[in-house]
Amino acid sequence: MKIRTLAQSTFGSFFHNWVVLILLIVCVGVVLLMMTPLLGAKAMTSAQNAAQMQTVVLSMVSGIMTFVSAFGSVVAAWAAADALATEMTSGTILAVMARPVKRWEFLVGKFLGVMLLMAAYVLMMYGLSALLAWIGGERIQSTPWVLLVYPMVRYAIWAAVAMALATVLRPMVTMGIVVLLQIGAYLIGRADLEAERVATRYMLHGLYWVLPSTNLLSESRFLEITHASLKQTGWLEHVTTLAYGLDYAVVCLVLAMWSFHYRSLKRD
Amino acid sequence: MATPAIEFHDVGKVYRRRLAGQEVAALSDVSFAVQRGEVCAFLGPNGAGKTTSISILMGFLYADAGNIRVLDYEPGDVRAKAQIGFLPENFAFYKYLNAEKLLRFHYSLGGGQPSEAGPRIRELLHQVKLEGYENLKIGKYSRGMVQRIGLAQALLRDPQLLVLDEPTSGLDPAGRKEVRDLMFSLKAAGKTIFLSSHLLSEVEQICDRVIIIDRGKLVQSGRMEELLGASDRVEIVASDLPADLEPSVIESGGAIERGPYGARIVIATARKRELAEKLWAAGCDVVSIIPQRSSLEDVYMKVVGDNATAATVASAVTTPEVPGLPV
Repeated sequence: MKIRTLAQSTFGSFFHNWVVLILLIVCVGVVLLMMTPLLGAKAMTSAQNAAQMQTVVLSMVSGIMTFVSAFGSVVAAWAAADALATEMTSGTILAVMARPVKRWEFLVGKFLGVMLLMAAYVLMMYGLSALLAWIGGERIQSTPWVLLVYPMVRYAIWAAVAMALATVLRPMVTMGIVVLLQIGAYLIGRADLEAERVATRYMLHGLYWVLPSTNLLSESRFLEITHASLKQTGWLEHVTTLAYGLDYAVVCLVLAMWSFHYRSLKRD
Repeated sequence: MATPAIEFHDVGKVYRRRLAGQEVAALSDVSFAVQRGEVCAFLGPNGAGKTTSISILMGFLYADAGNIRVLDYEPGDVRAKAQIGFLPENFAFYKYLNAEKLLRFHYSLGGGQPSEAGPRIRELLHQVKLEGYENLKIGKYSRGMVQRIGLAQALLRDPQLLVLDEPTSGLDPAGRKEVRDLMFSLKAAGKTIFLSSHLLSEVEQICDRVIIIDRGKLVQSGRMEELLGASDRVEIVASDLPADLEPSVIESGGAIERGPYGARIVIATARKRELAEKLWAAGCDVVSIIPQRSSLEDVYMKVVGDNATAATVASAVTTPEVPGLPV
């Protein structure tokens, strides 16, 4: 009950948080901007250039979806860092923690509040992908759960990482580190790990195992948007991949709880 | 016998800045106990360690040394916190909520069903005189109204122990009186109140026990009547003291101070009858005979002395010794 109250309160607070609102407005703005050439290309499609334009349109759709999906990771990280930091800077945490609430309950409540926000974001993203697929002249034919669950797990990882860092660092520093980690995870996922120098090879292998494999958790791994259909994937692959992502998020969240348990609660 | 509501045994707290290599001892060997049902004032100049002590008591900070018990539990234990109402100094709140939603949120965190909170919230809003403002966002409240809603959230779950940090801060004289009356009624209901305040005259009226700390050390602790003490001197005010009577008053060990109201004579209690009869015999009008008693301010200034003034002035014009660290 207390965790639910904290989660609902955190979710509600995002609608009064100007940074989160600006991030969402920026996201919508960029999507609208990206749709301009998309709709233009669509309008210019004629019987003569149909095949060529279809490729252009679908690559734009793919680009928009990649942006929206990646931007969600930034929103998740910021929302998590800010949800914790705002309580400390404003001092509201003192009245809240004076209630019979355990520190881990507070943190889990905050985390779930962030996940509620991200659930709304993922639903919006799903609606957008269906719309874009329709504009592209295709239709998403397969089960939607992959498009909903995979990004949620990925956002859970980044929210947990940001929350763990925010227990000891200021939100801007936290965000800087999280963005670097996100870029690092993206690059490592595509890098050739078998470098010539041994030290480089070990470093790349180390980073590969330490950083979250968000490429592995990318829904685009299963979705070929250019065909707007899902690859056939066995349930075992889904289970192991999602379990990996959830495990990573849980480990980060436990680290956050441990760090938060020992920190001083005061107005920063 | 019931165990004390609050026990501090040799509590120490040091703030460290590892990178800067700085250390500030915020509390050193602080020991005191507050019995259940008592109203205890926790006094000290700015930077004395009051907020640190309260933060340790509430489980917000961990002490580096000593032993603390709150309502028989460790600080921060949810079983203790379920029985505590806390009003922090400069109560902070979610500005986008209105009073009713904020109280419902705190009621729910306290373990209650939000749907059952209505009658209690209405009762409290009436008690703190915020009826009619329940739908106004708290961000639009005045300083005094914020303090009132802070008091309401502290009282929300009918706590056994109230920890109030500057509860009358920001209130006008009428508001201060209302809070004072509220504390009297809570005292009559057997609640334990741990009160930090700079308003010594109010504290003197309400509190049973006084704890004074200065520079992180306990400098005075005891029951109010013990600290203020029953003096062996009385103050006699006479409307018109003849000049020829002055030598005999001084000879009796009295001190005379003349003013527009007449003469104020301070003399040993044992000689008050003798002097009063002398004054009456000389045709003086004896306006009052009052046993002399130290005020809490006298006691406070005696034990804290110049440090209080120095600390207050310093806190007004400079940053703390280690910036950013609460002391």
